[in-house]
Amino acid sequence: MAQRKDDTALLSARNVRKTYHLGKVRVPVLRDASIDIAAGEWVSIVGSSGSGKSTLLHLLGGLDRPDADSGPISFAGDDLRAFGPRRENEYRNRDVGFVFQFYHLLPELTVLENAMLPSLVGLGRLRWLFSRGELRERAAELLKTCGLGHRLLHRPAELSGGERQRVAIARALINKPRVLLADEPTGNLDEKTGGGILDLLASCHSDGLTLVMVTHDASIARRAQRQVRIADGCIALAHE
Amino acid sequence: MYAPLLSNRYLTSRIIPFLAVAAVALCVALVIVVVSVMSGFLEEVRRSGKTLIGDVVVTRDIIGIPHYEELIREIEALPTAEAACAVVETYGLLQMPYGQGDGGKQIETVQVWGIEPASFDRVTDYRSKLYWRTPTKEEAAALAPDDPRLDAEYQREREGMSLHNAAGEPGLVLGIEISPFNRRTKDGSYRTENQSGAQDPGYFMPNIEPAPLLTLVPVTESGKIVGEKKMRFPVVNEFQSGVFQIDSQRVLAPIAEIQRMLALDAADVVSRTERDENGQPKIEGRTPARATTILVKAKPGVDPMQLRTDVEVAYARFFEKIMKDPARSRFGKPPLSVLVATWEQRLSALLGPVEKERALMRTLFSIVYVVCAALVLAIFWSIVQEKTRDIGILRAIGASRTGVLWIFLRYGMLIGVVGSLLGVLLAWAIVARLNDIHDLLGTPSPTWLRVLAWLAVLVGLGMIVHSVRRASALRTVLWGFGTVGLVSLALVLWNHEGHVIWDPSVYYFSRIPSEIDTDIAWTTAVFGTLFSVIGAAIPAGRAADTDPVKSLRYE
Repeated sequence: MAQRKDDTALLSARNVRKTYHLGKVRVPVLRDASIDIAAGEWVSIVGSSGSGKSTLLHLLGGLDRPDADSGPISFAGDDLRAFGPRRENEYRNRDVGFVFQFYHLLPELTVLENAMLPSLVGLGRLRWLFSRGELRERAAELLKTCGLGHRLLHRPAELSGGERQRVAIARALINKPRVLLADEPTGNLDEKTGGGILDLLASCHSDGLTLVMVTHDASIARRAQRQVRIADGCIALAHE
Repeated sequence: MYAPLLSNRYLTSRIIPFLAVAAVALCVALVIVVVSVMSGFLEEVRRSGKTLIGDVVVTRDIIGIPHYEELIREIEALPTAEAACAVVETYGLLQMPYGQGDGGKQIETVQVWGIEPASFDRVTDYRSKLYWRTPTKEEAAALAPDDPRLDAEYQREREGMSLHNAAGEPGLVLGIEISPFNRRTKDGSYRTENQSGAQDPGYFMPNIEPAPLLTLVPVTESGKIVGEKKMRFPVVNEFQSGVFQIDSQRVLAPIAEIQRMLALDAADVVSRTERDENGQPKIEGRTPARATTILVKAKPGVDPMQLRTDVEVAYARFFEKIMKDPARSRFGKPPLSVLVATWEQRLSALLGPVEKERALMRTLFSIVYVVCAALVLAIFWSIVQEKTRDIGILRAIGASRTGVLWIFLRYGMLIGVVGSLLGVLLAWAIVARLNDIHDLLGTPSPTWLRVLAWLAVLVGLGMIVHSVRRASALRTVLWGFGTVGLVSLALVLWNHEGHVIWDPSVYYFSRIPSEIDTDIAWTTAVFGTLFSVIGAAIPAGRAADTDPVKSLRYE
C-alpha cells in the first residue's frame, strides 16, 4: 500500500516484503510496504512492538535484504538489491548513518575513536595516513557540537546514556551521510535526556540532513515533519 | 585501517587474550625445551662417540689387512687426510684382580683394541681421553677439592701414552666404566672405592695387583680357532670417551702384543718339504703384520664423506701396488675390497636409536601444536561470541566481511607472535638455567624457605577469615584455593630432601645438555604462530559471516 508517490524521493521502498524463517515457521514481517522519503525530510516511522518498523529501517539502510519477490528499495534512484558487496559496504559507510537505541559503541575504543570509526572503515591505510589529522579534527569538532568536547579520551563505560547516544550520533555523521537512520534513539533515555537528543537530531535536520526515525512514542514522532504508521507489516497511515 | 586498531585494542584491554598468549607461550616453550634437550643429548653422543674413532674407518674382519703401513702412507698422502693409524680389533675375556666369594675372579667380556698410542693420539685425541692424567690449570680449578686427579699419585699419563707401566711391562688402558669400583659422583667425576665402599686408597686400577689376565682367541684365515692365548697385562690407566657403551667394554693394549696373541704379527714362512743347510725347515719368506682397522682423521673443514671417497680410491691404489709386486703379495695379499665408512656410519647402531628417539619426541610433541590451535580456537570462539554485537556495529558502518575476518585473523596472529616470542624467551631461560634448576631440585629446601611457606599459609588463612567477615564470596573462594595451593607447596618444601632427575650414574653425561636449538626454536615459533592463526580462522570466518541485523540484536 503506497503512501505517497514521489519521483524525486531520495530513499524509496516499493511493495517491500520481508519474511523471517524460524525453523520451518515463516514469519512475514513486511507485506508490500512502500514509502518515499524526500531529501531533507524528517520522517518518523511509528508502530507497536513487532510491527516491522525496525525491519523497514534495516532494509532502507542496506543492513538486511528483502525477500526475493519483494519490490525495489532505492537510494537516489539506485536499486539497493543490485548493489554488490563493495557498493553495499560503501552505502552503509558513506550514504547513510545509523543511530541505535542501545548506542552500540565499541567499549575498547575512546569516544574520539568511536566517532572516527566509520572514517577508518572507509579509508585505506594510505589515505588514512594523509588525512588522519583532518579527520581527528572533524571528529573532535563534531563531538564538541554534540557537547562532548571534554570527553574525547573517555571510554563509553565512563559516559551516561545520553552522552553515549551523542557519541553514536557523532559517529553516524562523521562521513557526512545524506540520510540518518535512527532506531528508537531516545528509547533508552529519560525524558529530559531524550529531549536533548531530539534537539540534536533536529539541529542536524535543520542543516539539511534527511532523517528517518523509528519510534513507538507518538509524542516523539510528532517532532518529525511526517509520520508513517506501520501495522501488520504494511504502511497503514501517514500524517503530514 | 580499523583492523589493526581493533586487533591491538582487543589484545591489550582484556584478560582472555592474555590467557591465549600464555597458552601459546607454554606450548612453544614446552616443545623447544624438550627437543633442545634431546638434540643436545644427541649432539653429546655424537661428539663423544667421534673422539676415539677419527673421521673415516677402514675395516676388515679378524684376518686383517697386510702391508697396512703402506696403506697408511697412501692415505696420509691424500690432501684430505691429516693422519691415519692402525688398530687391531678383537674380543676377549679379561679376568679382573677382584671378584666375588672365595677367591673367585670376575671375568669381563671386553672389546680389545690394539693401538700404537702416538699415532692413535694424532687421529683420535687419545691423550685428552685418558682419565688419570695431570689436569690443566683450568681443569684443576673446576675439580672438587677431593678429586683424586689432583693428587700426583693418580697422574699416570706417561704410562697411558706409552701403554707400559713404570717397570716397562706392556699394559692395558681400561674404559673407566669397566671397573665397578670407579664410582661416578654427581659432578660426573670418579672416586675409587674398595669392595666395602671405602675410598682412598680404594681400587685404583693402576695400583691393583695381580695384573688382569687377558685371554684372546686367534682365528686362521679359514676361520679355525688356533687355541687360546693368555697374557697378564697390568692396568696402566683408564680412559673416558664419553659414551657408556665404549667406556664399559673397551680395553686398549699395545698393538704389537695383540698382533702377537692373535698371530697377526710378521712371521717367517717355512717350507714343509725343504730344509736349509742347518737341517731346519727352509724359510721361504715373511708374512707381513696385519691390522684389522685403519682410523683416518680428516683435515680441518673436510667433509668425512669426501674423505671416505678419497680413502676408497687410495685403497684401490694400494691394492694395485701390492698385487703388482709379487715379492710382497706372495705372502700377504690384501683383500680386494674393505669396508670404508665415515664415523657416523660406523656408529649408526649407537646414534640411530637416539636420532629415532628425537624424531619420536618431535612427532609426539607436534601434537602440542594441535593443542595450541585448539586452545586458541576455544578462546577465540568465546571472544567472537562476546564480540558478536561489535561485528554487527562494524558491518552497519560499512566494514566488509574480509575486514571483519582480517580483524580476528590479525588478532590470532598477534596472539601467536607474542605468545611464540614469549615461549622462545621462556624456553631460553629454562634451557640456559636447566642445570641450576636441576641442582635446586636436587638439594633439600633451606629452612628459611620452609618457614616462609608456612608463614604464607598463615597469611592465606587470615585472608580467608577476613573475606568471610566481609561477606565476599569471590575473595573467600580465591583465597581458599590460594591457601590450599600454599599448604601443598609448604608440605612439598617440608618433605623435599632433594630430587635428582638427571642422575649421572644412570645417564652418562654429568650435565643436562643446556643449549637451545635455535633452528627448532624458530621453527616452533613459526608453527606456534601458524597454529594460532589456524585456531583463529574458524571463529574469524564465523564472525565475517555473521548477519549484521542478528548481531545487533544479539543479547
